Amino acid sequence: MINLLNTTRVTKWLVSGPPFLYLTLFFLLPSLIMVVASFRYPGDYGGLAPLFGVEPGKETGLTLETYRFFFSDFIYTQIFIKSFGVAMASTLVCLLMAYPLALLIAHSPRKHRDFMVLLVILPFASNFLIRVYAWMIILGPQSAFSLAVNHLLGWFGIAPVPLLFSSFAVLVGMVYVHLPFMVLPLYTNLEKHDPVLLDAAQDLGANAWNRFWKVTWPLSLPGVYSGAALVFIPVLGMFAIPDILGGTGDILIGNLIKDQFLGTRDWPFGSTLSIMLTIAVLLLAGITAMISRQGVRQ
Amino acid sequence: MNRSSWLWSISALVYAFLYVPLIIVVVYSFNDSRLNAEWVGFTLNWYRVLFNDEQMIRAAVNSLTIAVVSGLVATALGTMAGIAIHRYKPKLLPFMVITPVAMPEILLGVSLLLFFIQVMNLTLGMLSIIIAHITFCIGFVAIVVRARLAGMDESIFEAARDLGATPWQTFKLVTFPLIMPGVIAGALMSFTLSIDDFVITFFTVGVGVSTLPLQIYSMIKIAVTPEVNAVSTLLMLLTLTTIIIASKFAPDTLRGAMK
Amino acid sequence: MRTGLLLVFLLASGSALAADELHLYNWNNYISEGTVERFEKFCNCKLVQDYYGDNEEMLAKLAAGATGYDIIVPTQNAVDSLIKQNALKPLDKSLLPNLKNINPEYLNLDFDPGNKYSVPYAYSTTVIGYNEQKLQELGLPIDTWAVIFEPEYLTKVKGRVTVLDSQRELMAAAMRYLGYSINDTDEEKWKQARDLIIRAKPYWAAFNAQSYIKELTVGNIWLAHGYSNDFFQAALDAKKAARKFTINWRIPKEGAVIGMDNMVVHKSGPRQDLAHKFINFMLEGENSAELTNFIGAGNPNAAALPYIKPEIAQNPAIFPNPETIKHLEFMKDLDRKQRRVMSRMWTEIKLKQGEDDSTYWKGLAVLLGLFVFAVLGLAAYKGLAAPRRHAT
Repeated sequence: MINLLNTTRVTKWLVSGPPFLYLTLFFLLPSLIMVVASFRYPGDYGGLAPLFGVEPGKETGLTLETYRFFFSDFIYTQIFIKSFGVAMASTLVCLLMAYPLALLIAHSPRKHRDFMVLLVILPFASNFLIRVYAWMIILGPQSAFSLAVNHLLGWFGIAPVPLLFSSFAVLVGMVYVHLPFMVLPLYTNLEKHDPVLLDAAQDLGANAWNRFWKVTWPLSLPGVYSGAALVFIPVLGMFAIPDILGGTGDILIGNLIKDQFLGTRDWPFGSTLSIMLTIAVLLLAGITAMISRQGVRQ
Repeated sequence: MNRSSWLWSISALVYAFLYVPLIIVVVYSFNDSRLNAEWVGFTLNWYRVLFNDEQMIRAAVNSLTIAVVSGLVATALGTMAGIAIHRYKPKLLPFMVITPVAMPEILLGVSLLLFFIQVMNLTLGMLSIIIAHITFCIGFVAIVVRARLAGMDESIFEAARDLGATPWQTFKLVTFPLIMPGVIAGALMSFTLSIDDFVITFFTVGVGVSTLPLQIYSMIKIAVTPEVNAVSTLLMLLTLTTIIIASKFAPDTLRGAMK
Repeated sequence: MRTGLLLVFLLASGSALAADELHLYNWNNYISEGTVERFEKFCNCKLVQDYYGDNEEMLAKLAAGATGYDIIVPTQNAVDSLIKQNALKPLDKSLLPNLKNINPEYLNLDFDPGNKYSVPYAYSTTVIGYNEQKLQELGLPIDTWAVIFEPEYLTKVKGRVTVLDSQRELMAAAMRYLGYSINDTDEEKWKQARDLIIRAKPYWAAFNAQSYIKELTVGNIWLAHGYSNDFFQAALDAKKAARKFTINWRIPKEGAVIGMDNMVVHKSGPRQDLAHKFINFMLEGENSAELTNFIGAGNPNAAALPYIKPEIAQNPAIFPNPETIKHLEFMKDLDRKQRRVMSRMWTEIKLKQGEDDSTYWKGLAVLLGLFVFAVLGLAAYKGLAAPRRHAT
């Protein structure tokens, strides 16, 4: 009996040990290092100042300076607010586009569903830079689309607007890249709905709008939440899309973090920003989990 | 207008939104103009340029090597993690597996950069990229494998034990064949994720090692010629093939993974 | 037999892999393809290039652990910083007989006395490049920074202007326009420059470090703040593509930044031998001249002058006359505290939506508020609805 217990314990460690060790070494430890780095001084030429040292006149050791710097100026908080705004707008647009599509797939004959889902996944299998680049072509000032839009605006007496290098382009890019993340959880949720419920509602005299709003929508909320989280969080940390499609005002947290490491050589500040972003994401995940748990209890 | 035709028209627009940009990328790869601004004429020249572009080919070789190595290691570790989570219900492991996948990618990239430079004193290069890719691929494999296990009847394993199989025999003869489709789907996913990754590679890349996405990024940033379209088209073909193979092998698990 | 063949094949491919390679970390568009080809033939090796668009980017990349570059081509202030970091290898002058070709005026400068670590490569100025026909049509001046900073001019080219995505370069242009030295580190003056930039920003299309060459050539952009050699490239490309317009560039009368780019050997580079070969090769008059003839860079090499095309040698935007030179300044490096201040101003510049952006922020706040309200409302509704549903 003791022997058997031992073997199960050994197997347990054999199975969970390697991934546990790997992730401790290359995920937990780096995260901790980042926390420590946010309390250190920047090095004279980049990197970090030594943690221990007796060089006179040099700042070594730990400090709260970087956090003070973060809170001393409102602009950094503003960047967070702005990134949340962009993430929110992208999530809403994704939801508005994904919901009808997911509903259609869920209501289609079973044999077509797989194919229709595959059609949603396929573009998301091409590299995301390629998908962003595609919009560079479409929104370019001399593209057919751009000319058409500006022609249309001209009829209303509005001066031509540049489409590329604008917040609009950033939004389009964000939506385009993250749309499948919204469609898939919505579809898997909607697919499970029992059509009997809708029939019952109809029999009780509910019109199409009420059937959607009172039955389908509340039931689909878990799907909406997980889709929203899958879009919101990656958008929050995105730097490449504003970098490529954005104009002069399109800077998000991701760009700021990237700049600290690959531009201004201020690693402690970059770490501080990363930690703030982590906290924001964890808070969000917590709220989402709380709301959806409430939904499950119901 | 009834409801379903209403749904149809919106969905058709969404599908168009998804596909038109990609079609444009493909079409422009045959455009006979270096500036890539307007349509000039048909040519295969950019594919010729691409196959003679040594840097691009090197990048492709690097990408493939990284994807294969990190895909294999991540599949092994991820499968273990998936089994461990299902079987032993550990507390910390699920968190460690999911977080690198759920967090914005930039955070993993930046913290690994700090770690490699400050702690490991590692020369950035293939190794650093592979380590980073494994870290985020483990999660995906673990999720797929666990989903597969969750859908199985526990009594099979009990039956195997009752018949006197050792844990290893149970694993080899019962568990592994059953989760095999999940493992394959996880491996293919890791492979595509690794080949496609830009953000994490961007932070952990070293001198003289470039990957396809990095190469594409610098071409977009510096000077776009239709060569980018050509390489994009080929890359799309590659991932398309991988997906088709994946759906042949394990249609259910692939769908499960997307959940 | 077959294994023997296989072995031979493996050895051959192995040696091909470990072939002689020189890793060059250079500005993008700063060496012509022809020069690269001839160097590869000369040294029987491969030249592998990586590019950067800004000194800060290059320094950050090195600080972030990029090792293995044999040669880097930093601007003087970055050379200074690299020397202080002890990141460079002293040059072996015995391997550089062509060093004598360099015009002595460009040797022994204060960032590297005695040229222990660096050898001049080429220089460029940060100037205004423009679409000649368009600007003439619009009647805009081309010899002053006012054209990219003053709203009265900018209204005519709204959305058709790009500026460099480089905090140092853009601030320098603004400082010159305000009449200050680019190396003035007085925070008050920096703030004035920042405000000038924020006022002009709504009229610009983008901050752009590299692709403005193409944007100008295509005709998407009519006016750009950028490096002289990049505009040279844009002008050539426009001509080659038979565009209906021409691209030109000019050093503004208020003065500008001049950057002396130097070849240095990085400590981590594995091929010091090839690195010296490359430097000596580039110092040869004929090769150095190609930097000017094909790239449009200013040339510090006396032996190169006979090879330079006369129309380029006479172009004052490439070889500035003594009067202009008085207005050109070399940039100095900032210390880490100044870097943080500069970086914060840069963040402000990028974030602000114009001089008065309170409406923007109010709108955003309302939107966020509505969202939070909706989420909370939904949660509350569900919480309330649940028991009622149970009751029925």
